[in-house]
Amino acid sequence: MTGPEVATGSQAADARARVPALSARDVVVSYGGVTAVDGLSLDAFAGEALGLIGPNGAGKSSFLAALGGQARIRRGSITLAGEDVSRLAAYARARRGVVRTFQMTSEFSGMTTFENLVTAGHGAAGASLASVVAHPRRSRQRDRAVARRAWEVLERFEQADIANAYGRELSGGQRRLVEIMRCLMRSPKVLLLDEPTVGVAPRVVDKLIADLKSIRDDGIALVIVEHALDVVSELCDRVLVMALGRSIATGKYAEVVRDKEVQAAYLG
Amino acid sequence: MLSSWTFYISTLVIYFGVDLLSGISLNLQYSYAGVINFGYIVFQAAGAYAAAVMTLGPSGGASSFQQYVFGANLPFPLPLLVATAVGAALSALVGLFSLRRIRRDYQAALLLIVSLIAIEIVQADVPLFNGSNGLTGVPRPLAAVLPLSPQGYQWAYAAWVLFLCALVYLLVRWLSRSPWGRALRAMRDQEDAASAVGLNVTALRLQVFVIGGAIAGLSGGLLVQFIGAWSPDAWGYAETFVIFTAIFIGGVGNYRGVVLGVLLVPIIFIQLPQFLPQIGYPGLTDSLEWVIIGLLWMLCLLLRPRGLLPERRSIALPDLSSRSA
Repeated sequence: MTGPEVATGSQAADARARVPALSARDVVVSYGGVTAVDGLSLDAFAGEALGLIGPNGAGKSSFLAALGGQARIRRGSITLAGEDVSRLAAYARARRGVVRTFQMTSEFSGMTTFENLVTAGHGAAGASLASVVAHPRRSRQRDRAVARRAWEVLERFEQADIANAYGRELSGGQRRLVEIMRCLMRSPKVLLLDEPTVGVAPRVVDKLIADLKSIRDDGIALVIVEHALDVVSELCDRVLVMALGRSIATGKYAEVVRDKEVQAAYLG
Repeated sequence: MLSSWTFYISTLVIYFGVDLLSGISLNLQYSYAGVINFGYIVFQAAGAYAAAVMTLGPSGGASSFQQYVFGANLPFPLPLLVATAVGAALSALVGLFSLRRIRRDYQAALLLIVSLIAIEIVQADVPLFNGSNGLTGVPRPLAAVLPLSPQGYQWAYAAWVLFLCALVYLLVRWLSRSPWGRALRAMRDQEDAASAVGLNVTALRLQVFVIGGAIAGLSGGLLVQFIGAWSPDAWGYAETFVIFTAIFIGGVGNYRGVVLGVLLVPIIFIQLPQFLPQIGYPGLTDSLEWVIIGLLWMLCLLLRPRGLLPERRSIALPDLSSRSA
């Protein structure tokens, strides 16, 4: 375990002075005639947890998909540590350090937890047909190194006992953890989480929050879509409130919930 | 009597080998990568036609009893290599437009349609591969130079087919267990999540399609060089489903299961009845085969949805080794 300390306000201020790990400018996402995200901007910094909140249909998941490359953006730009990744496919962004979890858990159900992790750990380079065929020895060595790392991650999250369980045999909470551990195997710079606590048993949520904090303190930028506001207040250093595809407030959670517009958006 | 039996058994061994190649190819594509190749037989047919025209010599043109394109007389084993390459190349071509990001069931339907279109084209365009009559008189490789009796040749050919099967089996199993094979399974289980961890699923699908196509081409080449003839009758779209049934019954994602399935389905249920005495009206046994295939598939899905020998769990141990249970 690393980074037991909780980021303070001054750390967050330090973070803001740096180049954002992930930056979105005036992003527009539309499906057919419906505009889901309407000119949204965001900066996510290393070591910071940024919450995306808002009522149903606000466009939070669409925005996350735009950041991850699952949804095409109509206008605007997305940059990763200064590099424009707007036109890159999801896999290419993942190779540059943007990884994500999904609203519906997306574990590889016919593979064991260990295999889920190792697959992500290899990523593209180690798993390519060319590298497997042309450099079998190097591929085996890499496989061993990735396996070692998978065990480290499993132990960090105290999940070694489910290493050989198939994804389809796991509980909702375990599936979430598998997704998150899989993301960490990529050594990400930015981790996008879509409702990480949905389906997770209440007693596991606290542990999940602690785990996410420790990931943040490792210097990873977290962008979290979450409906459970207690989780948001506990975990997020900053929140961005969305309604109808736009940003209506941004700041510390305690401040934005007092905002009249935010209250109106939630209560209708 | 004795010689007819050995002739018959050696024939079955050769058919087994050819079907096993198909089973390995479809198992890689379907069980590992989730690609439902309902057009499989087209790639086998392409290999068969390629090997045939590469051994028949120059075509006599429209005046001859059979016409075809690219006639040549290549020495053994070049026609087989050409068959393999043609299977791979045609797969790359078909894969490029059929494996885009569309739903898997649509892909399957698209490939089935490719299979139907291909057979129509070959039947209609007679100068291509002699239309519905097909090609005949394909010489057996090295038959003139090997000092073997017809029976001996049969067994030698069976051994050659089994040798190639073993090579392909080991190669594909090795690939399936490599990090690349794991990437295929990730794509099969959750495509969006696979690309979200950095896997280029379009490239993976195309690779697995081309490798499968190469094996299909090889199997077609081996088959045509044995039976000496090839026509649209030999590659109806339904042949693909026989192999799929074999995989479902043997065990999805388990190469030993594929061997078992290929033994059970095409050989025991399709080939053996051909040698049984005639029952009912002529053609009844043939029709019953399809009834049997359908029944087998249904029974298998009801009773053993993962097949007789299911995919095996890979057990990882903290001492860094990972092995199959």
